Amino acid sequence: MAAPKGSVLVVGGGIAGVQAALDLANSGFYVHLVESTAAIGGRMAQLDKTFPTNDCSACILSPKLVECGRHLNINLLTLSDVESVEGEPGAFRVVVRQRPRYVDTEKCLACGTCAEKCPKKVPDDFNLGLGKRKAVYLRFPQAVPLKYAIDPEYCIYINKPGRCGMCAKVCPTGAINLEDTEKKHVLDVGAVILAPGFSAFDPSVLDYTGYGRFPNVVTSMDFERLLSPSGPTEGHLQRPSDKKEPKRIAWLQCIGSRDINRACHGYCSSVCCMYAIKQAVIAREHAGKDVSADIFYMDMRTHGKEFEAYYNRASDEGIAFHRARVHTVSPAADGDLVLRYADEQGRVREEEFDMVVLSVGLELDSRALDLAGRLGVALDADNFIATDTFRPVVTNRPGVYVCGAASEPKDIPQSVMEASAAALEAQRLLHGARWQETRTKEFPPERDVHAEPPRIGVFVCHCGINIAGVVDVKDVTEYAKGLPGVVIAQDNLFTCSQDTIDQMAKTIREHGLNRVVVASCTPRTHEPLFQETLREAGINKFLFEMANIRDQDSWVHQNQPEQATKKAKDLVRMAVAKVARKQPLPYNSVPVFKSALVVGAGVAGMSAALSLADQGFPVTLVERKDRLGGHAVKFYRTWQGAEVKPFLENLSRQVLSHENINVRFGVTVSDVEGSVGRFHTTLSDGSALDHGVAILAVGAESYKPGKGTFARDASSPWGRETFFHGARPDVYTLLELDQVFIKDPSSLSGANQAVFIHCVGSRIPERPYCSRVCCTHAIDQALKLKELNPDMDVIMLYRDIRTYGQREKLYQEARAKGILFVRYDLDHLPKVGEEGGGLVVQAHDPVLDMDVRFNPDFLVLASAVRPRDDVGGLAKLFKCALSEDNFMLEAHMKLRPVDFATDGVYLAGLCHYPKPMDEAIAQAQAAAARAATVLSRDEVPAESVTAEVDTRKCTGCGVCVRICPYHAVSPDPALRVAVVDTGLCKGCGACVAGCRSDAITLKNMGNEQILAAVDAAMEE
Amino acid sequence: MAEKRQSGLSRIRSRVKATIKSRFPGANMDYCLTCGLCASGCPATGIDGMDPRKFLRLLALGQDEEIMNTDWIYVCTMCQRCKYACPMDINIGRIVYEVRGLRPRDRRPRNLQKTCDFQKTSCSTGISDKDFVWVVNDVLEEVRQNEPEWADLEAPIDRKGAEYFLNQNAKDPTVSPEEMVLVWKILHEAGVSWTYSSKWWDGANYCLFTGDSEDFEATVRAQVETVNELGCKYYLNTECGHIYYAVREGIKRFNIPHRFEVISIVSLYAQLIRDGRLLVDPSWNSDGLKFTVQDPCKLIRQGGGDSLAEDLRFVIKSVAGEENFVDVWPNKSNNYCCGGGGGALQAGFKDQRRRFGRLKFDQLNATGADVVITPCYNCHSHIMDLGEFYGGKWRVTHLWDWIVKAMVRK
Repeated sequence: MAAPKGSVLVVGGGIAGVQAALDLANSGFYVHLVESTAAIGGRMAQLDKTFPTNDCSACILSPKLVECGRHLNINLLTLSDVESVEGEPGAFRVVVRQRPRYVDTEKCLACGTCAEKCPKKVPDDFNLGLGKRKAVYLRFPQAVPLKYAIDPEYCIYINKPGRCGMCAKVCPTGAINLEDTEKKHVLDVGAVILAPGFSAFDPSVLDYTGYGRFPNVVTSMDFERLLSPSGPTEGHLQRPSDKKEPKRIAWLQCIGSRDINRACHGYCSSVCCMYAIKQAVIAREHAGKDVSADIFYMDMRTHGKEFEAYYNRASDEGIAFHRARVHTVSPAADGDLVLRYADEQGRVREEEFDMVVLSVGLELDSRALDLAGRLGVALDADNFIATDTFRPVVTNRPGVYVCGAASEPKDIPQSVMEASAAALEAQRLLHGARWQETRTKEFPPERDVHAEPPRIGVFVCHCGINIAGVVDVKDVTEYAKGLPGVVIAQDNLFTCSQDTIDQMAKTIREHGLNRVVVASCTPRTHEPLFQETLREAGINKFLFEMANIRDQDSWVHQNQPEQATKKAKDLVRMAVAKVARKQPLPYNSVPVFKSALVVGAGVAGMSAALSLADQGFPVTLVERKDRLGGHAVKFYRTWQGAEVKPFLENLSRQVLSHENINVRFGVTVSDVEGSVGRFHTTLSDGSALDHGVAILAVGAESYKPGKGTFARDASSPWGRETFFHGARPDVYTLLELDQVFIKDPSSLSGANQAVFIHCVGSRIPERPYCSRVCCTHAIDQALKLKELNPDMDVIMLYRDIRTYGQREKLYQEARAKGILFVRYDLDHLPKVGEEGGGLVVQAHDPVLDMDVRFNPDFLVLASAVRPRDDVGGLAKLFKCALSEDNFMLEAHMKLRPVDFATDGVYLAGLCHYPKPMDEAIAQAQAAAARAATVLSRDEVPAESVTAEVDTRKCTGCGVCVRICPYHAVSPDPALRVAVVDTGLCKGCGACVAGCRSDAITLKNMGNEQILAAVDAAMEE
Repeated sequence: MAEKRQSGLSRIRSRVKATIKSRFPGANMDYCLTCGLCASGCPATGIDGMDPRKFLRLLALGQDEEIMNTDWIYVCTMCQRCKYACPMDINIGRIVYEVRGLRPRDRRPRNLQKTCDFQKTSCSTGISDKDFVWVVNDVLEEVRQNEPEWADLEAPIDRKGAEYFLNQNAKDPTVSPEEMVLVWKILHEAGVSWTYSSKWWDGANYCLFTGDSEDFEATVRAQVETVNELGCKYYLNTECGHIYYAVREGIKRFNIPHRFEVISIVSLYAQLIRDGRLLVDPSWNSDGLKFTVQDPCKLIRQGGGDSLAEDLRFVIKSVAGEENFVDVWPNKSNNYCCGGGGGALQAGFKDQRRRFGRLKFDQLNATGADVVITPCYNCHSHIMDLGEFYGGKWRVTHLWDWIVKAMVRK
């Protein structure tokens, strides 16, 4: 291959496409991001809240969209479709057709005058037709780019030239161009990433759902819009027929999923169980706890991290779960609806509801289907883009990668992981062209404001109705105008929207502001965005303060608007007092050791190591055992049917022979110093290494009931049950049975009967999470037994079958082959005993209400995946946290699934949560992609808000040296004072609190600033 | 409380299941997710302690004795509402049919088996072909004499080359011959070229319900060959559900050569009205008599589907006035079976049948309609019975009554 191109095409501007674009653009590649609608954001932008954290979807997404929109190295092409991709990996020629927007994005200020005057009301597709918009429209309030567009399907002028043209007449900047035409872009790129997302299943083909016939039957996507503050009802839950607030809501699961009859979708859509629970929880938050919420389901699939806890909590809060599938939705009086259903014992019940939500499944969008066809990208049997078990983001066409729900239904974290993994694959291909086509950002020189008196600007955000629905924003703004030092105060619908930010920069320059306060959501997500705005306006970014009037005010005082408004004023007053005393700080940076440490040489660790090594970054791979492969050596085959052994041998060979990988067997990490860019790690053999990043992939363990501490909790429903595991040779765990499949499968062929018990050690009070992999693994093993002996009885005793996504086809195949599934619950636990030297298993069939006894030749326990006991120690060394279940805790459950809160440290594989091999590989690649955003640079930004020692007061006692968790403070032996390394200091303030002599302060966070804020708080 | 059921399953074996699978591999019965959708949508759920899901579960767990002993297989009308929405497309109706066939003849409902045995000699009520021909001619003669405006009415039998072969449910020539005249008049007025046959003329086939494949095949084959000989272009099915299904399904299942297309007379009515060959005027209904409809399962769900259901509504609205039609829900292909299909009327089990029909009764009653149109003999009989038993105030009629009433003669 000749020198590859240093740019990448990303198709689809949903969360997956955005993440892939950002990862690539932040590690040295130029990205063309092609989006078919008028704004990026995709489906996630249409969601109200996200599970399991109940974060506001638009709020956590918006900063990423804005970053994308502002990124120098991302070329955003909206209203665009990829027509063709010709050429080879490294050198593709892409033709993109961009439909006319009829609005000049350079001139449009998004003032909205055009839409106000446009006479043509049309169904709002962003709100799924539940509301109206105008023919000239903004896709949604936080749209990026925040520019209007004209819908040619409805525009009066475009359909009948000469008529109307009102928008052009009223636009204050002359941005309307009704003669706009289609543009053709020819792009040369090295790789292509497909992230075209999904479409929601259209239930109008299923007459019995009543969708399209009864107005109060809505889809789950409709319901998201009905909950959303930017939706047609502005977040007030109202049912469509009469705008009444519904008090009885039902969710029907698996509409368009797990249905091979009318819906033609045999697969599980993977996300619907969780989103239905979330919607039920949020609906009750909106409309009160007296709202009854009933979820009708087949199997409750809460197989992700923290999902089971969410489900249990919802259940405890009174959300009703019915294991029943409703045949037909029928009308009742006044727009209400009746559901007739049979409970598990066959008793028929009838209940009335105000509203029925259809939990619709996911399918590949028809336009994505066409695109795949044009690009020669193969589809699988379910019409998703086909991928490989061991190469989860690679399509059949070399150089073309896929991520997100286009390859299988999946949730947001999984899509984000895959997006980073796809970015990794592109980098693996194109690393030689890194930084070749990128541009760098130049900020204007900063104005020296030291000598100026404070000139403060206050910007108060409505956050749609998130703040303005409770707090009187206008009143707060007026109040701010009177505060000392305040020169100007403004209020904005969404302060984070692109136009407001641009406007803010302009205001700073025009009014000569030297301090800025934004009163809005939370610094957690939005502070960097606003700080960058200050830099663009030519002032130091630390001359900024945020008043948290949403998370800490409007959201917690929803029912006390007056007090909330008062509190908002207090918070603004404090912020103004504090910012007035802030000083400019230097922009610190740390040079980067361009090498990585990967801990754990299982499949995840090896995949991560190779992903970085292939790009030329040296990797030290540390493994506590004396062999590679981790748990994978015990695995027979993946759920897609691929044998693990050949893959593992090949992977191990590549790792061992790679010039950039140094494998260290038999050692562990014993000490870690430093921070992102320059870690200094000591291993258990005493050796040490410097590295810029670390990836933790230390795996997990399989729970063994015979040896375990199963019944630590005496209240455990299973008691001290060991199922004779370890005591009898005919009782296996899943991995033990895999060993038999690998070594001596024929020894099982003579068996007449095998029984599997699911959820052994999972979903119980002491280990409440679902182990995610066991249903699929067990069913695949059951199928293997049927391969060995088709005549064998195979019985699965299960609680819920959780073969999410396309794994469902294994479940279907298993039933088709006559494998018997008998459900149990905690009130009817299976009993295992011995009888005449053999095993006897007693269970209860809930459908027939009948006790059944089996005499299996062997028993298989689908036992839990549990975190390793020593994982906490390692996490602590890297200053990383663990979740309640003792798995490693990522920085953000939804959008930062492979990052730790500690910069430069990433995680992958089972130490994060139980997951199958394809997901572990994708996560490892994602971790590598995230690591590459550091390793690709010569230096990374370091903390500016650092500790500062007043040498006059310092007594050299050394308390701070011992306290500092980052080893950033050291004694100066000559001067007998403490010295702070500003590259290591994280600004945590521990030394400040520990200093007995009041000698250390945190820059801009000293007594002066804090006391000013406290004093302000006490004022009236 | 009954004693807790128990079963030792050291081997799970079901002879019944194996037999059904060998006879009909496409039944999908092992695919069951036990989701209960079938049970929630089945009017027979709970009757005799059974429902479709339990029935499948008994098969899955090898409980052959219970399967072979339950009379629920005759309460189930094989209406296939379960299959219509079953996510796994399990053909429960067909499974019930096969289990019926596994019952020894002497343990089957006597009357149902007898009706099929009659059928094998040409007609389900047992009247002879000769009597049929005589009754038709006799009734025709009477009309020609008593109603001068119909002096040229025809009721052709064995007219070769007629465009339509019309079947005739044996109930009419046996007990209510005047009903036949209404169809003759409609066809005559529209100028349709049609004929009866003097053998295998019956518009019924109860061998569809006994479970014996040979009997079902023999009866369908005999009728198909008769129509082939007549050289008709269309097999015109009178206002009856199960025979429409029986002929179409029989032709398909047994791959019987045929030279005609099977259509429902409901579609023909609609077509004649649309084409202007049949003029109808709803103005007779100035009092606003309200009409509702029963979509026969075998005619709509298992037959012509929603498009035929639309034809049915079009005809009713044309003759009774658009504003006088009140629809039910669920309807069309997703309707509730009344409980009279699948041979239930012949099989006995009256109490169960009425319990089954309660949903249908409530649904019809809720419409407030004065007239229930039932383009099916079994629906007609059973809904009449439901009305009498539960106290319905409506009339139950075929469609032809009202077409003739609204018909404007050219």
